Amino acid sequence: MASFQAVKKSFNLTPTVRALPSGVPAAPLLNLAARAPADPHAHDAPPSWAGGLSKTSSGLFSKTYTTGPAQRLFQQRLLHTSAVVKDAPEVPDFSGYRAKNTDNTRALSYVMVGTMGVLSASVAKSSVSEFLKTMAASADVLALAKVEVDISSIPEGKNVIIKWRGKPVFIRHRTQSEIDEARSANWKTFRDPQSDEERTKKPEWLVMLGVCTHLGCVPIGEAGDFGGWFCPCHGSHYDISGRARKGPAPLNLEVPVHDFNDAEGKLVIG
Amino acid sequence: MSLSTTIYNTFFKRNSIYVASVFTAAFAFGIGFDSGVTTFWDTWNKGKQWKDIRHKYVQDEE
Repeated sequence: MASFQAVKKSFNLTPTVRALPSGVPAAPLLNLAARAPADPHAHDAPPSWAGGLSKTSSGLFSKTYTTGPAQRLFQQRLLHTSAVVKDAPEVPDFSGYRAKNTDNTRALSYVMVGTMGVLSASVAKSSVSEFLKTMAASADVLALAKVEVDISSIPEGKNVIIKWRGKPVFIRHRTQSEIDEARSANWKTFRDPQSDEERTKKPEWLVMLGVCTHLGCVPIGEAGDFGGWFCPCHGSHYDISGRARKGPAPLNLEVPVHDFNDAEGKLVIG
Repeated sequence: MSLSTTIYNTFFKRNSIYVASVFTAAFAFGIGFDSGVTTFWDTWNKGKQWKDIRHKYVQDEE
């Protein structure tokens, strides 16, 4: 290290400026009255009596005679060439767009959302109800759904077959002996136990669908072992109340919904 | 209290009231829309529908 110091000293360059014997560099054109202001942004330098550099015989002399900062009132710099530092400089200032009365905008937002809800709800309700309407019977089907029969022209002890909804319907004007026979039978032992009172609204009028409950043939009236109907396809016998008594038929002949219009002497089926 | 604040406090403050009023308004809107469209249709087709010309062809027997 010592050898390095010796080497270093031997290579020291001579100063380019001549020094005075006091050690101060000889700079005759140096203006010691020009000084940098304490505040680099201030336009005025501090006054000369506040202190500063002076050249004395012992060298450069610097002294400040004031204790406080030699400044006037602090004033924010309003004009800058540099950008103002903000908390989040990438966020623009939206304060100019802010609503002055937030109550109005809040109510308007809710109104818009509510209007959307009203429209959506009515569209949904309309869609559902229109879809359900497609499942309803059309007018031509409804027009054929009911059949009126003039029963005053049917004599006692006769069958009438009419067509209702594409199916035959048997209407029999029963005699008193047939009614007695149908009601006296021990119906609780039948295959499909049903009393004659359940099957007829008026005892002299028997209304049934003319479709065999076995496989859908049309039974023949006033035939069979029980004086009622007989199905020629597989030999099912029905009695005078239309109840299955013999053969493969599992159920009694079906009784459709029907009503009597006594004023006009009509039977309404459906 | 301004009008908007009154409306907010009446309808929007409680969600139950908000939803209920939305459905009520939808019901009323459906009825009003239907009757409005029907009225417009009848006006637009004035004199062309059966109910407008029925009296020319059918005399009701009293």
